[in-house]
Amino acid sequence: MDAVSKSHVFPSPIGESVTRVDALEKVTGEAKFTDDLQFGAGLLYGQVVRSPHPHAIIKRVDVSRALALPGVRAAVTGEDSDDHIGLYLKDRYIFCRDRVRFVGDPVAGVIAVSESIADEACRLVEVEYEVLEPVLDPLQGVQEGAPLLHPDLGEYVVADFIDPKPGTNIANHFKVRKGDVEAAWSKCDVIVECDFRVPHVQHVPLETHVAVARVDQTGKIILWSSSQSPFAQRNLIAEALNMSQSDIRVIAPYVGGGFGSKAGVSVEGTAVVMARKVPGHPVKMRLTREEEFYCAFVRQGLIARTKVGAKSDGEILAMKTEYYWDAGAYTEYGVNITRASGYSSTGPYRIPNVHADSYCVYTNHPVGGPMRGFGMPEIHWGIEQIMDMVADELGMDKVAFRLKNCLRGGDKNVTGMTMHPIGLAECIEKASKAINWGEKAPASAPHKRRGKGLAIMWKAPAMPPNAGSSAWVRFNEDATVSLGIGGQEIGQGSFTVATQMAAATLGVPLDWIHISAPVDTKYSPYEWQTVASRLTWSMGNAIVQAAEDARRQILDIVAAYWDEDPNDLDVKDGQVISFKSENAIPLKDMVVYGLPLPDDQGWHGGPIIGHGNFMPTYITSLDNETGQGQRAVVHYTTGCQAVDLEVDTETGQIHLLRVASAFDVGKAINPDQVRAQMEGGVVQGASTAILECLQLKDGVPQNPSFTDYRIATSVDIPDEIIPIIVEVPQDDGPWGARGVGEHPMVPTAPAIANAVAAALGVRILEMPMTPEKVFLAIQEKLGEA
Amino acid sequence: MNLPHPGLPSFDYIRAQTLEQVVDLLLKHPTDVRLFMGGTDILVQMRDGLLEPKTLVDVKHLPGMTTIEFDPDVGLRLGAATSMNAVAQHQAVVENYPLLAEAANTVASYQLRNRATVGGNLCNASPAADTAPAILVLEASLIAFGPSGERSIPAEKFFLGPGESAFNQGELLTRIDIPLLPKGCHGRYLKLGRNAGGDLALVGVAVLGYPDETVDSDYRFRVALASVAPTPIRALKAEEILAGKSITDETLQQASDAAMDAAEPIDDVRASARYRKAMVRALTRRALSEVWAMLREEN
Repeated sequence: MDAVSKSHVFPSPIGESVTRVDALEKVTGEAKFTDDLQFGAGLLYGQVVRSPHPHAIIKRVDVSRALALPGVRAAVTGEDSDDHIGLYLKDRYIFCRDRVRFVGDPVAGVIAVSESIADEACRLVEVEYEVLEPVLDPLQGVQEGAPLLHPDLGEYVVADFIDPKPGTNIANHFKVRKGDVEAAWSKCDVIVECDFRVPHVQHVPLETHVAVARVDQTGKIILWSSSQSPFAQRNLIAEALNMSQSDIRVIAPYVGGGFGSKAGVSVEGTAVVMARKVPGHPVKMRLTREEEFYCAFVRQGLIARTKVGAKSDGEILAMKTEYYWDAGAYTEYGVNITRASGYSSTGPYRIPNVHADSYCVYTNHPVGGPMRGFGMPEIHWGIEQIMDMVADELGMDKVAFRLKNCLRGGDKNVTGMTMHPIGLAECIEKASKAINWGEKAPASAPHKRRGKGLAIMWKAPAMPPNAGSSAWVRFNEDATVSLGIGGQEIGQGSFTVATQMAAATLGVPLDWIHISAPVDTKYSPYEWQTVASRLTWSMGNAIVQAAEDARRQILDIVAAYWDEDPNDLDVKDGQVISFKSENAIPLKDMVVYGLPLPDDQGWHGGPIIGHGNFMPTYITSLDNETGQGQRAVVHYTTGCQAVDLEVDTETGQIHLLRVASAFDVGKAINPDQVRAQMEGGVVQGASTAILECLQLKDGVPQNPSFTDYRIATSVDIPDEIIPIIVEVPQDDGPWGARGVGEHPMVPTAPAIANAVAAALGVRILEMPMTPEKVFLAIQEKLGEA
Repeated sequence: MNLPHPGLPSFDYIRAQTLEQVVDLLLKHPTDVRLFMGGTDILVQMRDGLLEPKTLVDVKHLPGMTTIEFDPDVGLRLGAATSMNAVAQHQAVVENYPLLAEAANTVASYQLRNRATVGGNLCNASPAADTAPAILVLEASLIAFGPSGERSIPAEKFFLGPGESAFNQGELLTRIDIPLLPKGCHGRYLKLGRNAGGDLALVGVAVLGYPDETVDSDYRFRVALASVAPTPIRALKAEEILAGKSITDETLQQASDAAMDAAEPIDDVRASARYRKAMVRALTRRALSEVWAMLREEN
């Protein structure tokens, strides 16, 4: 076999479960995380004095005793916060200036030569507060006369698609008015109304937040941080400190788990403000696990009031929803969760009449922020239970009910957008079949009850309309490739998928591609954020474009050298080949040094570097009053989970036997990684469904450690997880791919709740479904009977 | 509110050379000195600012502290600093006191069980200590060494309140002695946590049953409960019921009800008192049924 024909069989890595590119580094401990970086003897440590009150006016802050402690180098207070910070709504200072709004709000910071001296110094900072009445419930918060958390709400800078209500605690109100809900009720044969609640939960990444900031003698800032959003951090900090983006450099090593908690800016801001006081010294801030619970983002709490009506044949006619988000002290990020939940409020159903209000309510609770699913796990908890309740009332099979009403390609969705082709119905069919839907199976013991349930979901990347990605590829002398991206590897496998895409487009072996990491805003190409399950799709498009750019340059150079048409050439397995002449030349012979022209006429080409970018250009706004518009989002990823479980009626314990998880990912670039996302989503979803709840009492977390904030561990996972990949291509996705990082945790909790209801005839309306709650619900039912 | 950035305070560490030295230190510095074995509780409490001893005295290296000895004529002698894993995996324990191995195996996680000691678990006198109900139904004795030498404290007299034990000033636990068990006995320890592994007990129930022709039912049962009262307790009413009449489903249920009545749990972040009480009944019933089934199979 000669070289040319051999190259034709070179397999594309797309759709192959190649080994993770970071595997060896991570299993050997070679991979560097932020806290691994060494900064030498000049390193100082920052520690933050935090508010003990949920709501108070700061009367006085005195750091003089802290400054007098040997080993303390400097201190900061609210005076050192220049301007407001926030992603969609600039509503917070890095250090509070006049008011604290949650237990843990930063009031002052001290910088010392050791963490323990910094801790001790914190205890010497004197703060005088005037305690204010707190808002501890969103329903309280929206009432007239409720204490106001942000009297200056009207002054804050806000994104144009967010609608705050100055003079209230409502940071955003998103509305859908579609058809005529009131007129529709009378046409419904069945109407179900129910309230659902979701508590605050936490991301609990294995690696807690850590950031090191250094300000040099010219005032420029370097920030090393465990971050999902190096570029957004650079931008937000620049705006808050009135600096140029180019004077801030964010270096972001591997991230030990994000789940949204490391998006935007949290601890990093405090590190930067403190570092400004000690130019030349790096200042490290790292959160303890307890601080993580108090001070890092939490998932917002939710009270959902929902009403659904359907005709006797099962057709859903109307849906009315009110969402009250317990958004916490600052809603800079949460306002967009409110919006996303509003424009997704029907779930993936075709409903002609919709009335939805989604309120983002300030409360004196920990700061709500993005978490895997961005509002979707919370709203689907209610949506998917009430749909089961409607099906029950109709006496209709729940799979049939969903197949009748679920969105399909070409349908108009809740905001009037025409749905792109989706494989939701296929997901429902495959997931339900995988657990033998409709077949009764016996429980394993007399005191146990077995039940099956399912839930469907949709989620769009929730982001500004013009969130962009960029990438470059640069050839090295031996034809290996440096791939520049600004997206982060947070464990989800983005570096591997990026490598596969670059290798496939360039026509080089996978191991020739090397990601230029860590992401460094000084050298890496721009990426909005590593959030919203958007990298495979958005960054992937940029990578393909960059690789194609480089490939075109290569083909042009070689075509000139061979005096052929570039269209007759291709790059396969690391060499340029001609289908016409059957010429072949290894890339390493030309990607840096170019090629000589015939007859000693000089040289042609030069070091190859390709670049690409991607930004969706088709997003339109939604009408403020009706929530209707042409195209509110880039696309929806949809899916279904089906659960087979049994409940111990004597203890209330839920045992997950089988969970089938089917998602339409457009194209699985790396099927094993897609399956791993489904498994991880099921486990995290089940953990929040059964165990997780940040218990807040008067604004104070009661269980801020793993002793009492229980999460699922390996012994708690379902006996069997059945991942099912469905592929209905996305028209603007690379190879048709769309994201699936968040989605598998969205339907897990309601699918479990529906299975519990099937097993027991008892519905749990508030997460989590702890054994205690399930047991007491069983007792209550027995009492009624 | 405790600021959520705790840290381990500085302290002196003394590795004890003799029991007498330990007694001396305890007597001279009753408030500043704490004894240290696995450290899985005390170091965490110190980090969280709940305890601030000036000195930790490490006693786990003293002679006999990690010895496990079984004498078929006397019983088991367990050094106080024996780790949970060592106990759970020791052949003599597994063969002769499977209930103790089962209880030790439910403590926290495998990694913790490498450090955590049986003696430490008992000395903390936590109502939730997983080995305490086992120790109670095995009718063990806790051997204390103090100013006047060695004395033996019956397990049922050892726990006085949350964090309070029957030690006198200057005493430390050196050994747990467990007598030979009644012939034909069987036991179970059932623990309910919030998730399947690694949790503290919301409720723990230990049951030991054995044939005894001197009582009306021909069987004796010992029942002990964790996490549902200020101390680990024996459910004596339940035991009386089981001794007093022939064992039927109804008897087991009555005994379980009596165990529930013996429980005086509290509401806390982990569970409500109401749920805990109900779980005492459910778990007692389950443990009794299992032990009864094993007893019946043999007799």
